[in-house]
Amino acid sequence: MFEKSDEKLIAKALAGNKSAWFSLINRYEKSVYHYGVRMTGSHHDAADLMQDIFISVFRNLSSYQGTGAFKSWLFRIAHFRCIEFYRRKRPLVSLDECPDVSEQDPGLTPEVAMMGDQSQRHLMQAMQSLPVNQRAVVELKYFGQFTFDEIADQMGLSSNTVKSRLYSALAKLKQSLEVEYV
Amino acid sequence: MSEQDKITLLSAWMDGQLNEQQRQAFEALCVADADFAARVEQSNALDVCALQFTGQTPPAWDKQASFVPHHQTRHEGGKWQFMPTAAVVFSILAMAISLTNFSIQVENGRLLAGFSLNNKPTMTAESVDQLVQARLADYQQTNQALFEQYVAALQKQQQQNGAQLTEYLLSSSRQERREDFAELIQFINQQRDDDQLFYARQLNNLQQEIYTQNGIPLQQSTPSSNGSVLPNEE
Repeated sequence: MFEKSDEKLIAKALAGNKSAWFSLINRYEKSVYHYGVRMTGSHHDAADLMQDIFISVFRNLSSYQGTGAFKSWLFRIAHFRCIEFYRRKRPLVSLDECPDVSEQDPGLTPEVAMMGDQSQRHLMQAMQSLPVNQRAVVELKYFGQFTFDEIADQMGLSSNTVKSRLYSALAKLKQSLEVEYV
Repeated sequence: MSEQDKITLLSAWMDGQLNEQQRQAFEALCVADADFAARVEQSNALDVCALQFTGQTPPAWDKQASFVPHHQTRHEGGKWQFMPTAAVVFSILAMAISLTNFSIQVENGRLLAGFSLNNKPTMTAESVDQLVQARLADYQQTNQALFEQYVAALQKQQQQNGAQLTEYLLSSSRQERREDFAELIQFINQQRDDDQLFYARQLNNLQQEIYTQNGIPLQQSTPSSNGSVLPNEE
């Protein structure tokens, strides 16, 4: 009820109000961090990515026009930082390519294993087997609760491409989960 | 139903935007198409997973590091704001230096900077004309010498060819004449032999007639009527 809107906090942060900026961080910190965990499969990488995202958001805060939701704008930056993270980490692997299980972070399984119940763990592990581009769509659609148009805007793609990627991702996830259960 | 239609149906279902006709098609597809049904099931599972997701709390991190007041950022950025202008100014200066032939010279410990310091004499139309004429004369002489050499080589080659042809013609005609004379002599000899034989036969016939008229019997050695050799024919 007494919560300030994102726009007010942004205006204050731009004016140099540190506590307003920290409030904004506290509001989105968890979702950005979880986004990082699900995208990278590693808490350590997720923490680095989160810090990177918030630094980038603050630097570009003055360019936020306020036309769309701040969350959507924030996750657009998060997506680009995440892609940069992948390009840095695996420069030779295409973003449309399924990651090789042997190349994955060895710390992945225990960290993902700490999540929720067994079905959640399996699903998280199956998500790690998706190509980054498909994983990002699944992440934004189900965990970010964005519409297809918002996701398309965030990723700089057409809405049809996003839908097509999600359609393919669902089939791959089903396949991965079947293999895991077998 | 095409793959694109299935994607559209699934997307509309996810966004809760199915109309009545689409809903019927969606439900029919879920029953008929196992692959599509699996995707729908997976989507539901993901929805549930997203709702029940309980992640860890983010670790403590240095939030202060992300906060740099924007006026400070602008100030820091302002340090280098002159760079584009300076780049343009230096580019123009470099172009002016190269176009105006500006040069710097060090002579006897003195630094000289100015335009066209070399003081090279500017070329007048006359000097250009002289230069062109000299070049043309050189060119003409060179060509003349080359043509002379070429003509001499051609003449020499022609002489050699003529001599070879004459020699060939002479040798070939001499041999032919020799062969012709040999044939002629052979022909004359043969004619003479034939004439001798003819005259011998005439003489024999005359002798035979004379003997016959005078009643003198023919000698054994005289040629017989069957064509054997007569004494005059030997």
